[in-house]
Amino acid sequence: MILDLHNHSIKSDDGRARVENYCQWIRKRELPLDGFVLTEHRQFDAESDYRALENEFGLRILKGSEVETEYGHVLLFGVNPDLERALDFTRVDLPLATVLEESVRCGAVAVPCHPGRPNVGLCAHYDTLGPAEGVRIIEVASGGSRAGEEEAAAALAETHGYLGVGGSDAHIVSQIGRRATRFPREIRDEEDLAAALREGSFEAVRWQ
Amino acid sequence: MAVMDVDKLKARFVGREFDTSEFVVKHEDALTFARCCGETDSRYSDPEHPDYQAPPTFLARFVGRRTMPEEFPADEFRGAFDGGKLVVAHAPVPVGETLIAASQIADVFRKTGRSGAMTFIVHRMEFRDRAGTLISTVDWKLIQKEGA
Repeated sequence: MILDLHNHSIKSDDGRARVENYCQWIRKRELPLDGFVLTEHRQFDAESDYRALENEFGLRILKGSEVETEYGHVLLFGVNPDLERALDFTRVDLPLATVLEESVRCGAVAVPCHPGRPNVGLCAHYDTLGPAEGVRIIEVASGGSRAGEEEAAAALAETHGYLGVGGSDAHIVSQIGRRATRFPREIRDEEDLAAALREGSFEAVRWQ
Repeated sequence: MAVMDVDKLKARFVGREFDTSEFVVKHEDALTFARCCGETDSRYSDPEHPDYQAPPTFLARFVGRRTMPEEFPADEFRGAFDGGKLVVAHAPVPVGETLIAASQIADVFRKTGRSGAMTFIVHRMEFRDRAGTLISTVDWKLIQKEGA
């Protein structure tokens, strides 16, 4: 199953895509995605219900979040009420150690994203803050990357033995499906996605 | 500029109406706006059209008597730049009518990006006709880079 793990809808302050339009684009362009995850900035969108769109377009639509830490931005998968209580998603200075620890405690998975990006990626902070303890997976394939940023992410993953996922970081419809993650099995829901990430069997995939 | 206390700003200013202004949707202005935008839909470009109205984004050009609440720490946002406008159209914009716009600060939030940390102010104007029908909501983002 191939899921694009990093996308933003109009629920994010800088998102310009409606979820329905993502679905239409995927089908119209015949993108090889089985679904995607909405990772809205500094929030978890618990209220939106995309089941009708899932049925209409035959796509899995899951929800996660993108929070901000002193080491940069971090995707959260398998967000549940326990994790929502444990973290103030709105803050831009969450301690990464807390995000990682609480994610494990609550059954979620934290994945630092676009590690090669200035200011908001791990690479920019490892020199000054040192490597972060507890990171297991990073986003090695990131659709919003500029030249050299994915290479930096790949080097970081190799140096530290991190596993890698892919996500488009789409903010407009035409950006979805540039990067994704292939899993060897079906992913049923958010909890199952977190389980699949913990299992560690997946690979990042790229398209232009 | 020091890092602003966003929580304090939110508690003090968000959601509080601080200005009400009236605007006339002038026929000539609306038509010129439509032409300048390259509008081809005759609803916006042909005054003879039975459903003639101003383009939905036309109201984004209006500015209230006050752009910020009194006592808002405007000095801290002296270097702020325009983060663009978002228009939500609720009803056709009637040409020739007077609309009443109520202004408020809808949100204040921080985020981090490639260029560092930023504080966003979301200035909102809600336009209604004289009957109270909501015509349009215009959000205008102001961005202050921290340390700028």
